[in-house]
Amino acid sequence: MDFSNFNAAEQAQMSKIIEKKQMQDFLKMYSNLVEKCFNSCCNDFTSKALSSKEEQCVMNCTEKFIKHSERIGARFAELNAEAMNAAQTPS
Amino acid sequence: MSFLGRGGSTPTGGVNPERIDMAVTELDTVTDFFNRMVSSCHAKCISTRYADADLNKGESVCIDRCVAKFSEVQKKVGEKLQNRGAAAASAGGAGSFTGL
Repeated sequence: MDFSNFNAAEQAQMSKIIEKKQMQDFLKMYSNLVEKCFNSCCNDFTSKALSSKEEQCVMNCTEKFIKHSERIGARFAELNAEAMNAAQTPS
Repeated sequence: MSFLGRGGSTPTGGVNPERIDMAVTELDTVTDFFNRMVSSCHAKCISTRYADADLNKGESVCIDRCVAKFSEVQKKVGEKLQNRGAAAASAGGAGSFTGL
């Protein structure tokens, strides 16, 4: 997104808003990820401690999710760049 | 991605709340789209066995295609809604984007 036609005061306000949203988004992602990994990894309640297998599953789940969302971010950025180029050079 | 457009100029140094509002709406729309794409593609592409911390080849290819498809669906649905909106408007209905 491009806020370059905003004046300094507007840009300052925008970055404050963006910062706040990033924090909220992060916390939302955190709780979603906990739910996702818990549901995928924890199915045995004969013990209250995480088994080493469950722990490994949770670590893999978290790591994999990060890689997953990074990859989507990269593809998404490419897609946007393509759309921008198409909009700038009408054929 | 500025499909919402940004009009109006502001006296230098002042903040135009309308422009900020518009930018926030755009930001929310794009963020929401992205988050939905992440969760849909995760559900469709990632095996829940979690034997490995890395994306395997199949998952990676699946994600790439999923992103392309998701945004294509967004376009198609958008076109359809727009056509319906236009048809409703010319039929003398309320003519709103949401009018069915």
